[in-house]
Amino acid sequence: MPGRMSDPSDSLVPFSPDVRDPVVYSLHHDLKAPISRLSISWSKGNCLRVSFFGKKSSNSSAEGSGNSNDQIGGKVVEVKLSSEDGEIDEAQKRRIAYGSVSPFALLQSRKNSMSLLSKMSMGSSTYHVEWWEHVMEYSKDINLLLGSPKPLPSPVIEDPKTVLKAMEKPTCLKAAWELMEIFYADKQSQAWLPESLVDWLADYDNLLSETGTTVYSKLVDLQKELVTLQAVEDNPKYWEGISSALAVGWLEIVVKLLRLHGSYQLDQLGNRETENGLVEAVAVLISKMPRIRTELAVGRLGECYKTKPDFVKAWEKWRGQITKLECSAFWVQCDHRQTREGLKNVLQIMLGNTNSLNTVTSHWIELYISHFLYVRPFTMGLESMYSLAQKCMQLKPTSSTHRLMGLLLGILGENTEVVLAECSRSFGPWMVAHAVELLTAGSKQAEILLHEERYNLGGISIEELHRLVYAQILSSHALTWQIAPIYLTSCTKQGMGLLEILLYKQPIQHNHLLLKSLEICRLYELDSISSNIMKIAGIHHWKHGKKGSGIFWLQQAQDEVRLNRIAQQLFDFVGKSISDESFKQWEGLIELLGSEARTVGGLEFLHKYRDFKKSLQQVQDGHITDAARQAVESLILLMKNPSTPQRFWLPLLHDSRTGPGIEAEKRGSLVKLLNWSEHPLLNISQTNLLLNKLQELSMAKLHPDFIEADLPPHALNSVRLALATNLGRAFLEE
Amino acid sequence: MEKPLVMLDKGTNCSSWNYCGQRLATGLLDGTLVIFDSLEPDSSTFTCTSRTKAHGASITKVIWVPPEYGDAVACICADGTLLLWEEVEEGPQLLKWKLCKLFESNATQVLDVQFGISLTSLKMVVAYSDGHVKVYELLDPLLLNKWQLQAEFQNVIDSVAMCGKASCLSASISWNPQISESHHSSFVLGFNSDLPQFNSSKVWEFDEAHQRWLPVAELALPGDKGDQVYAVAWAPNIGRPYEVIAVATCKGIALWHLGLNADTEGRLSVEKVALLSGHEGEVWQMEWDMSGMTLATTGSDGVVRLWQSNLNGVWHEQAALVSTS
Repeated sequence: MPGRMSDPSDSLVPFSPDVRDPVVYSLHHDLKAPISRLSISWSKGNCLRVSFFGKKSSNSSAEGSGNSNDQIGGKVVEVKLSSEDGEIDEAQKRRIAYGSVSPFALLQSRKNSMSLLSKMSMGSSTYHVEWWEHVMEYSKDINLLLGSPKPLPSPVIEDPKTVLKAMEKPTCLKAAWELMEIFYADKQSQAWLPESLVDWLADYDNLLSETGTTVYSKLVDLQKELVTLQAVEDNPKYWEGISSALAVGWLEIVVKLLRLHGSYQLDQLGNRETENGLVEAVAVLISKMPRIRTELAVGRLGECYKTKPDFVKAWEKWRGQITKLECSAFWVQCDHRQTREGLKNVLQIMLGNTNSLNTVTSHWIELYISHFLYVRPFTMGLESMYSLAQKCMQLKPTSSTHRLMGLLLGILGENTEVVLAECSRSFGPWMVAHAVELLTAGSKQAEILLHEERYNLGGISIEELHRLVYAQILSSHALTWQIAPIYLTSCTKQGMGLLEILLYKQPIQHNHLLLKSLEICRLYELDSISSNIMKIAGIHHWKHGKKGSGIFWLQQAQDEVRLNRIAQQLFDFVGKSISDESFKQWEGLIELLGSEARTVGGLEFLHKYRDFKKSLQQVQDGHITDAARQAVESLILLMKNPSTPQRFWLPLLHDSRTGPGIEAEKRGSLVKLLNWSEHPLLNISQTNLLLNKLQELSMAKLHPDFIEADLPPHALNSVRLALATNLGRAFLEE
Repeated sequence: MEKPLVMLDKGTNCSSWNYCGQRLATGLLDGTLVIFDSLEPDSSTFTCTSRTKAHGASITKVIWVPPEYGDAVACICADGTLLLWEEVEEGPQLLKWKLCKLFESNATQVLDVQFGISLTSLKMVVAYSDGHVKVYELLDPLLLNKWQLQAEFQNVIDSVAMCGKASCLSASISWNPQISESHHSSFVLGFNSDLPQFNSSKVWEFDEAHQRWLPVAELALPGDKGDQVYAVAWAPNIGRPYEVIAVATCKGIALWHLGLNADTEGRLSVEKVALLSGHEGEVWQMEWDMSGMTLATTGSDGVVRLWQSNLNGVWHEQAALVSTS
């Protein structure tokens, strides 16, 4: 049998036999009495409803206690099973959910047309080039949703003492998305991964401050003190800040800080000329730092080199200048000890002294980045990046792994499973469902892994599984369920199945929800679920007294079985109560049915039946011959009309034989249309028509589907006899 | 994490949500049927809209009739009767819950009832305390009082080997939730009785050609066939090439894969893929989520447990909800 439960060969996540312990939540029911029983029920999406029933208290005299809580015998609570990280509130989550729909849908439709094109033997190389661009566009769109373009920790003009720009705290979700984008989607950054990480850390170092000291947190502290300090250069924190910021490549901050040095002040310039010259020389060297990358944003310092040889040349020249400055004789003339030592340390960092780097950085990733910048600018390939990361982690061990670091290590370790698991565990279903697009674009291997259909998952791929899980979460909320279909329809195997269940569970008694559901059905051609929904709506309205809308929806559903039953009920009713006051109500309903063009279930004929009944009524009331003629006309019309269901033929004929008042008290005034005393009302051809119908009916009786009318057993024969008599009289008459 | 929805009356014994989670029916020890409604879609405010004395004996279980047949519930009462109550119009703008059918109990009691919809009709399976199963069919889709007994059988594979009269404490029925033209109606049924051969869960399928119910699979390993079954739950199948059914017995919760295609003898292949333990004592109820990927269970330990399969198909307890006052 295929798919044994734990075949190690298709083991996906390195699975340890000791399954992680279940998460234990506590549910508060606030009931005084002990609980006698629980009951559970799934609500929308992944909401679970739990009913608690209290034990019946032994003392039945609780009535007198007056405590209202005593009257509560139980409680129902709803539990939402999403992991709350609290970083992003619910409204923002929904905004992201809504915003990501159109980039996702666009990418899917592009994917579909791409696969069509590639089937038509397109050159695969052009296909790839274009595909990266699409994925990148998608990634940028999503990225934009996760937060506005963030101000860098870069100098601002307004306040010379503000080195760190105040900014809104970015979210880990955005940081994680950008990490994925750098490594999987942005093919242009592939050659400059270290520099991309430098930029990434500049944006998100403050997120790591939650768990410990970082360069960012040091600078925040320094910033607070800067305002009050007079001679900044005397304070060791000033020099620490400069070194740390330099180590992680925040050159603009470093240069700005350097220029806050007291030797720049006009009154000081005269006697601290050498000192100021050294500070400025270092600042200039820093701003000329060669970077191996295509470009730098406006206002960023450093000089870009796109090719390795150019960079190496510039790098060596730059290092030469630093060495030269280090050996310069001016240092002796610099009287200010802190400046001398601070600047020397800065030069050591620029020269890539690993001890200095280790001292001035806090988190391992900061040390890691400083290595890229000053020690190994040519680090290429994930393997060497990964081993460097491990080295840095050994040098700066952390007690707990930050979720962003877990993700980064998974990426560097080139382990798709771990990346996916980290995404899912730390950032939730939205992240996984959307980041899979980046992962699959990242490598062929990942694509195979994520698209492979697995028996264990019920024949779907991991990609589809995560979309289904995400769609189910969307289904949990009234404001997001409508976008779940977008994700479900991108699931080729099981999406439609889940969509049908989702639609079936919408409360149809609310008209706007009913119409919304039907619209979705129409969009995705879900005819059977659509007719089922209309059927539920029809029955609901019918049983709740809204007969007209009940019939309307049943007609829309083309539910012949139910409409036939309704037709029967109406027929019986019209037959019985023609003189009844309540007939008015029914008459309106029948009117409605007759005017409906697409009638199903033989309701249309009721319209004509009413006319027939009215004429019969008049016959009874004494307008004898004219009314009788009219009744016969109506009868013939009814019998000729193909929309009159066969099962009503006999009751109709039987009616016309006996008249409407079958009840005992009316028996005296029985109108015998068929045996009209003055002269036969039906001519030969009319009588023949009815006889033929009768014959057809006798034949139909042999058919297994025949529905027997609720009439006395001799009805058929008595009608036949009446017709035969009439035929004889008609012959004589003509 | 949890949000209170409804405060229940004193003496509430059982509850059941309707198909869309907008109505809650509860049954009381004094035989009262109480209905709570949310008047706005997706509002979490529920108000009591009906309080009806349904029966003299206490209501032990409430089950909603599928919405295609109106707003109605079946109530199983402690004296073994089965009642069908329906909400219908009574005069303009007035809705009322009315008794539409009463199935009297004689010597035997009704233990469980579940409704299954096929394309053409509504079927009702009733399990009795003597181990008998009756399948009723609704004759008129508009009238919930016209039922026809379609079949009566016992929950045994080999009817020849039947012996004696069983005395059953509880029974659990779960219909295959899938409705489609290609599928025959089927349900799974297990008993908690003193006669071992009645207990094991069997899958019954309707044979349209011969108009009879046939056992097509037995969900128990040879050594476990006599195990008393507490609850069964058939998972929704949104496209798996096999069905998944959960069976709770005294040994734990077993998860079974059921093949979709019958062999030459008409049997479906079965495979037990997991045995989950966690609940101490009896399992009261098992519910699958809409995708059939998460199983929620509750039992006499008062804990709600959630079970999921990991990517390798290994089932494990994902979360436990422990109730505290």
